[in-house]
Amino acid sequence: MSAVDLAQALWLLVAALGLALSVSYAGLPVLGQGAFVAVGAYGTALLGPGGEGWPLGIACAASVLAAGLLGHLVAVGASRIEGAYLALATWALAWLVQRILLAYPDLTGGADGLTRPSPAHLVSPALGLDLVLTPTVHVVVVALLCLALVGVLVRLDRGPAGLDLAALREGPSLAASLGIPVASRRRTVFTATAALGALSGAGSTVLLGLVAPSDVSPLVSLQLLVAVLLGGTARWWGPVLGVAVLTALPPIADALATSGGLDVERSRGVLTAALLVAVLALRGPVGRRLAHPGPPPGPPATAAAPHHDPARPVLLQASGLDVSYDGVVALADAGIVLRGGEVHALIGPNGSGKSTLLKALAGDLSTGTVEIAGIVHHARDVQDRVRVGVARTPQHNVVMPRLAADQQVAVGARGGARPSYAVVRHLLATPSSRQTGQAAVVTRALDEVGLLHVVGADPQRLTSGDQRLLQVARAVATGARVLLLDEPAAGMTADERSRLGGVLRTLAGNGRAVLLVEHDMRLVGEVADRVTVLDVGRVLATGPVDVVRAHPAVRRAYLGIPEVPA
Amino acid sequence: MDAGLVLQVVLAGLSAGAVLGLVALGFTLIAGTVRVLHLAHGDVVVASVFAGVLGVLGRTPVASLLGPGRSVEFVLLVLAAGAVLAGLIAVVAVRPYLPDVRRGRPADALGWVAGGVAAGLLLRAVLGLLLPQEGYAVPDPLRLASWTSDGLVHLPGGSTLPVRTVGVLVLGVLVGVLVEEFLVRSRFGRSLRAVADDPDAAALCGVNAGRVVLVAFLAAGLLAGLAGLLDAPGRAVSVDDGVVLGLEGIAAALLGGPGSLRGALAGGLALGLLQAVAVYAGGASLQDVAPLSLLVVLLALRPQGLRR
Repeated sequence: MSAVDLAQALWLLVAALGLALSVSYAGLPVLGQGAFVAVGAYGTALLGPGGEGWPLGIACAASVLAAGLLGHLVAVGASRIEGAYLALATWALAWLVQRILLAYPDLTGGADGLTRPSPAHLVSPALGLDLVLTPTVHVVVVALLCLALVGVLVRLDRGPAGLDLAALREGPSLAASLGIPVASRRRTVFTATAALGALSGAGSTVLLGLVAPSDVSPLVSLQLLVAVLLGGTARWWGPVLGVAVLTALPPIADALATSGGLDVERSRGVLTAALLVAVLALRGPVGRRLAHPGPPPGPPATAAAPHHDPARPVLLQASGLDVSYDGVVALADAGIVLRGGEVHALIGPNGSGKSTLLKALAGDLSTGTVEIAGIVHHARDVQDRVRVGVARTPQHNVVMPRLAADQQVAVGARGGARPSYAVVRHLLATPSSRQTGQAAVVTRALDEVGLLHVVGADPQRLTSGDQRLLQVARAVATGARVLLLDEPAAGMTADERSRLGGVLRTLAGNGRAVLLVEHDMRLVGEVADRVTVLDVGRVLATGPVDVVRAHPAVRRAYLGIPEVPA
Repeated sequence: MDAGLVLQVVLAGLSAGAVLGLVALGFTLIAGTVRVLHLAHGDVVVASVFAGVLGVLGRTPVASLLGPGRSVEFVLLVLAAGAVLAGLIAVVAVRPYLPDVRRGRPADALGWVAGGVAAGLLLRAVLGLLLPQEGYAVPDPLRLASWTSDGLVHLPGGSTLPVRTVGVLVLGVLVGVLVEEFLVRSRFGRSLRAVADDPDAAALCGVNAGRVVLVAFLAAGLLAGLAGLLDAPGRAVSVDDGVVLGLEGIAAALLGGPGSLRGALAGGLALGLLQAVAVYAGGASLQDVAPLSLLVVLLALRPQGLRR
């Protein structure tokens, strides 16, 4: 393998590592890395020496910046859309760029592409520098770059920022409910992917002194995707192995083509499609075999400090909640008061607005006035509420596969933290007191819900009752003082219900306000201090359990219904 | 700019749009029932045409006029190829990645997205191995060009238009509306949409979701064959044309509002018109660039489509 070939493979690896960040770390299906490679390659060729004549370094930097900007623009829309549409958008982008390259031959050289003087000189009169960028220089530079990128990926995998990405990948809606800024994390990751793609394109253009549409075609985009998927989820060596395979691909395709008298480009296409199908089919089984159990648990459990407040302060007060969907009233001037140290049950027939009320309290819907600890709080989204200590559990069990039980809780512990520069700090700093502090939070949360024994376990193997409790632990780990629990007892056995009852009392006993949406009146009677009854979006009654039970309207509207779901 | 020229641009655009509408209709049918973006749909359109060419004319096709018997053979072959290819894609590349409650399998969007893209790539590559030329002339079994004696329609102001263009417009819109009406009114269409609206309830009523996926793809495959029959004759067709045609169909579907069959037809006409105007004003280089740019911008700004 000559130095040129090696350097070229390494530049391709830069694009693959960048793509891995989006695809296998953040779970974003990006099918158009070739488009960003094209921006870098053609940008450098058009702006740099032989084109506009800008200094080489500046031309490279400008085109990488342009690709980052383009990536950011696509991501602004894409962060709102579900995965498949992002795949479609990036796939369309790959073809758009390809067609633009072919449609304007005066600018781009058409199918032949552009040639530039090679080897290029990196000249800086100010520094007295005139470096000839020989293939060997390329190999050294790009090898160092790849090492640095692999280092970044490895660190990401081990630390809190990687945990954020894992949460993003395994359960985006859940990640949002735990306070992780999903949209902005996606934008950041996608922008980085685009910029690294452009850097790769710029590098190989400078190396070869040549760029053609077939170097940045949608086929190349798919080959990069194959390379990234080869290693499965979140493994740094995936792209490395993948690029090695890709480097071996053309000679094999060419040999097949010449022996069979077939078209070279077509046989590469067939091989790529076959590889893509194989990688997809193998993804599951290989991934399961390689899945490693979670890291060892943090320091030993510190006993949860009981924080009993006899005054039972009001932690959350909401009033004037009005919500309607397409003219159907879901909430009409509803309100609720949650106090620390109390379990507050929210009951009502199906469709009475329980889930809508929960959404409003969690910051999912904007309506009425919500005061947190006496201060009016305006939440733009769920994250804002998580930051002031209000967290919700989902109605259904949402488990992030591939994350061990304690890691799932650690995601919650991350969520409450300020996100700014967390990634940068994480990449630069050694595992800090902050991280050990986080481990303590995780342990304490698991302890509070009585799940210390599941640390490191595969959450999908847990009983559904333990999974429900894990959701609660995740919400607790955000540091929430107000817990909004949407039917935590659903699907639990009688034993598990009584365990849950104990956990709820513990959580309240430690000073939290617990809002419990529940159908099972026995459980409500056992654990709740107060009850609010909703009927057609209105608060029918609210107060201590016994008082509400005796309320005639409640007996008529709710308790009187014979088929109360258990 | 005289009226005849305007009419020429508008009719040519609407004619291309009628084909795009049929492509969009197939895409919307699948997006609405299976909740899958069929990224190989355009490739099925082109591949079904070439399957017919290979079957009737062989590997070195000469675009001669086909006799009545061979015309029928060609049409049936194209339609069958569309359905078979789409069905294969459904079974091999899409269904394994759909959620399956009974087996506890979660949805895997990356799986069916990449599966569809791989299927399209495979179709293009295999066809490209069999048919190495840049482009091929495809026979027209409907003989739209022979509707008038000189094959032209004379517009006011002296400009002319191939009669094929008008024929494709008329037939395309007619077929599109008929299929749309069928899907909206027939029992078959209603049961498809019932599954789309509430898969769980449909499953409770005994509808086999796996079979619905296959049926939706087969129907979309037939539509792809129809679109190919209208679109391919009259120009040089390359085996690579499918991807961009498919993406244009998706842009049309998004323009018309996701899930709306009628919207897909209207979106197709609108996109065809837009494309014709862009090419008239900005040159032939915008032929593919304009609709693809529109698609990327649409997805970035309003992924849920323009309506709603």
